Amino acid sequence: MAAKIKTIWHRFTLGGKVSLAIIIGIAAMWMLSPMVARHSHRIPSGPVLEAPSAVHWLGTDDLGIDLWAQLCHGAGASLQIGIGTALLAGVGGSLLGVLAGYHGGKLDQLIMGICDMMMVVPQLPSMIVLGAFFGAGRSNMIMIIAIFAWAAPARIVRSKIRSMKHDKYIVAASSYGAGFFHLLKTHFLPGILPLVVVNLMRIFSHAIVAEAGLAFIGLGDPIAKSWGMILNRSLNFPGIYFTAYWKWWVVAPVAFLISLMLALAMVGRDLERVVNRKR
Amino acid sequence: MSESLLEVRQLSVCYESEYRQTVQAVKNVNLHLKPGESMGIIGESGSGKSTLAMALMGLLHHDHARVTGDIEFQGKRLIHGEENSWHHYRWRKGAVVFQNSLEVLNPVLSVGEQIQETVGRHLALSRKESRMRAVKYMEMVKLDPKWLSRYPHELSGGMRQRVLVAMALSCEPRLLIVDEPTTALDTPAKKEMVQLFQRLQQQQQFAMLVISHEMPVMLELTEKIMVMYQGMIFEQGNTKEVIRHPGHPYTRGLIGSSPAINPYRDLWGIPGIQEHIDPKQCPFYQRCNQRVEACEQQCPVLTDVAPRRQVACLRGGIVTLLEGRGINKTFGDGKETITACRDCHLKVRAGETVALMGMSGSGKSTLAEVLAGIIEPDEGEVFFEGRKVRRNRETAKIGGMQIVFQDPLSATNEQMSIEDVVAEPLTIMKVGTKDERRQAVKQALKDVQMPQSEDFLNSPAFALSGGQRQRIAIARSLTMKPKLLIADEITSMLDPSTQANLIRLLKGLQNQNGFAMLYISHDIDLTRKVADWVYIMEHATIIQEGPASELLHPHIHHRHQCDDGNHHERHRQRKHHMIVSVS
Repeated sequence: MAAKIKTIWHRFTLGGKVSLAIIIGIAAMWMLSPMVARHSHRIPSGPVLEAPSAVHWLGTDDLGIDLWAQLCHGAGASLQIGIGTALLAGVGGSLLGVLAGYHGGKLDQLIMGICDMMMVVPQLPSMIVLGAFFGAGRSNMIMIIAIFAWAAPARIVRSKIRSMKHDKYIVAASSYGAGFFHLLKTHFLPGILPLVVVNLMRIFSHAIVAEAGLAFIGLGDPIAKSWGMILNRSLNFPGIYFTAYWKWWVVAPVAFLISLMLALAMVGRDLERVVNRKR
Repeated sequence: MSESLLEVRQLSVCYESEYRQTVQAVKNVNLHLKPGESMGIIGESGSGKSTLAMALMGLLHHDHARVTGDIEFQGKRLIHGEENSWHHYRWRKGAVVFQNSLEVLNPVLSVGEQIQETVGRHLALSRKESRMRAVKYMEMVKLDPKWLSRYPHELSGGMRQRVLVAMALSCEPRLLIVDEPTTALDTPAKKEMVQLFQRLQQQQQFAMLVISHEMPVMLELTEKIMVMYQGMIFEQGNTKEVIRHPGHPYTRGLIGSSPAINPYRDLWGIPGIQEHIDPKQCPFYQRCNQRVEACEQQCPVLTDVAPRRQVACLRGGIVTLLEGRGINKTFGDGKETITACRDCHLKVRAGETVALMGMSGSGKSTLAEVLAGIIEPDEGEVFFEGRKVRRNRETAKIGGMQIVFQDPLSATNEQMSIEDVVAEPLTIMKVGTKDERRQAVKQALKDVQMPQSEDFLNSPAFALSGGQRQRIAIARSLTMKPKLLIADEITSMLDPSTQANLIRLLKGLQNQNGFAMLYISHDIDLTRKVADWVYIMEHATIIQEGPASELLHPHIHHRHQCDDGNHHERHRQRKHHMIVSVS
C-alpha cells in the first residue's frame, strides 16, 4: 500500500504536487478551523472593516467579524458542496452513460434525450428559479447544481462505452458468457475511470463556482457563510470600490476560490495519468 | 462368391511366448480378393501387416503363433498346421515378394541357382527347363540374365528386389503378396519398381496384395486399401477415396504424415505410442482425439459408412464438429445493403485443420463470427456437435469452441494483468478455486511458450508485443480446452518470424491436444502449410472446396482451371490472380 502511494506520488508532476498541497491545505483550514482561526466566524471580534494585521490576519468585515475565520469556515461549505455534487452528478451521470451505451435502444434514447435537454436549457436562470423555489440549503444546492452537471459525463462515458462494446475483448468476454456486471467491473469501469476522474474534478470546481455564484446573487444559505456568501456580502457593501476595504474583503475570497479551482484542475490532469496504467 | 480368389474370414494370429505376454498381432481380419485385383494394406510398423502376409502364406510357425479363422484360396480351405494343404498353394498359387534385404536370399548360392531351385521344386521341371524359365523371368523383370551366376551380395538393392520378384513370379502364381516393395530403394528405383509391378500385373493378370506404408505406392498399385492398426482393420475402401477423404482419425494421421501426399504442408506424425492395452477397449483409444467414454469399454467393428467403404469406429469415423448450413448475412439499413455471406455451407471435422480462404472483404470474418455464435445469421443454421449454436452457448463452456481474433491488441484488455486476461473465461464461468485457476493459467501459458513467473503474471498486458498478446489470447482460449479453435487471420498483423513461431505452435498444440481448427487466412503459402481441407470464399460466396493438396497445389490448380469450362470465368481469373500474385 505504501509502495503504491509512493508510485502514485511519483507520477504526479510538480504542479500537481503543489496543487494537491493546496487542496489539502484548504481542507485542513476547514477541519481545523477552531485551531487555525483564533477568532469566531460568527461573533464580532474587533473593530469593523479593519485592515489585515497581526491580530486579524485578513482584516474584518463590516460587522467586525474576522475574515480568516470566515474563510476557514466557508471552505467547508464550498468543499462539501463540491464533493457532494461531483459524486452525485459525476458518478450518477457516468452510470447513466454506461447504461445508455451498453444497452442502447430505447433506454439510450431516453437518457440521451434528457441529457440533450439539460444541455440546452439555460443553466443560470433555471438554477436561480430552482434555487428560489426549493429554498437555500446545502443539500438543495447540491441537487440543483447536480441536475445540470450530470449530462456532460453521461454523454462522454456513453460514447466511450459504445466504442468499447465493439472491442474484441468485450466480444470475447461475452462469448465466455460474461454478464453486464462482469463487463462493468472488469472492463468498463477501468476503461472509463480516467474520463470519470477528470469529470469529477471538473464538476467539483464547477459546483464550487456555481455555489459561489448562487450565493453571490443571494440564493445561498445565509447561515452557511460559504465563500460565495462572503463575496455577496462584501460586494453589496455600498461603494466598496471607492474604499480600500475591497483589497482584503473581496480579494481574499476570490484568491482562495481561484487557487482552489486551479489546484483542482491540475490534480485532475495528473490523476488522469495516474489512473491510466499505460502512461 | 464363385469369382473370389482369396477369401479370409475372422483371421486372428496370436504370438505366444513363455518370456513375454501374449501378443495378438492380427485380430479378426476379413479379406476378399478377386482375380486380378490389387489391394493395399497400410499401417505404422508393428501394426500386424507382415504377420498377416505370413499367415496368408502359411509361414507362421505353429509353435509360437496360434492362427485361427478361415483362409480359402479358389474355394479350397487352407488349414494352419497342415502342411499338405499348403504344399500346392505356396509358390504355385500364391507367392510372396519379401521385404528386400540380404538375409532373404541364401548368400552361398548364386541367384540363378536359387530361382532354379524354387522352380524345380514346385513345378517339377528339368534342370534345363528351369534354367530357361529363370532366364525368361530375369528378362521380364528387366535384369540381364548374366546376373544369374552372381551371388546376392554382388547385387545392388534394386537388383536384389528384382531377383525376388522374378523368383516369386517364376511359378506363375495367381496371387502375389508384396511386402514393402520399395521401402529401401531410392526415388528413381522406386518409380521403376512400381512401373515393373504395374506392367507385370497387366501381363500376368495376377492378384496383388501390397503391404507398405508409402502412400504414393499405394495410389499407383492398388484399387482397394485396408488400414491396419494393432492387428485390426480400421478402415477399408477405394484407395483414392480413402486417401482423399480419410474416414478414421488414424488413417488421417497416416496420410498427414506422408510428405508425398502433402508436399507443402508441415509434417506431423500421429502423437502417442502404440500400446498394448485391454483388448476390450478400442486399440486407438490412447491416441485418438475424438475419444468418448464408450471407446474405453468397447472395441469397434468394421461397419459400412458409405457404399464400399467401412470404418471401425464407435463414433462412425471422424465426427463432424461444426457445420454451417445455408448461412446468409446482410449488413445495412434497408437503403444500402452489403451481403457478407450468401448461402455458405461449411463443415469442420474433429482434429482437422480447415482453411477458409479469400481476399479481404470476401466475408470470411463475418462467416467466422456467425459460426462462433457472435453474429446472428439472417438465414441458415450452425450446428456444433449436432447442437444448434445460439449466441454464446457453445463458446461459454469447457470443451466447446473458441474464437481467436485477428487483432491481438484489441482482443485483450491492455489494462488488465496477464493472469486476469488468461483466467477471464474461467473467472466468468467460476470454474474451480482461485488456485486451480492459477494452475490452469500457468499450464496454458506453458502451452503457448510464455513465462509463468509471478512477475510476468502480474504485469499488465500492454507491456507485451503484438505477437505475445496473440499468444496470450490463444492461451485464454486454451484454458477452455476447446474442441474447435476458430483462428481468424491470427497472424496477419505479425512479422514473418513471429508468424512462423505462432503457426508451428498452434499446429503443435493441435497435434498434442487434438482440437480441430478453422483457420481463416488470405495467405496461400501459409495455408498450404497447415490446412487439410480448404474452402475458398469470394464475394460472400464459397466458390470452391477440396483437399488442400489438390486445391492449393499450383500445378493441379492450374489444370483444374483449364478443365473448368466456361463457368465462373470471372471467378477463376480472379482466383488465378490471387494465387499467382501470392505464390
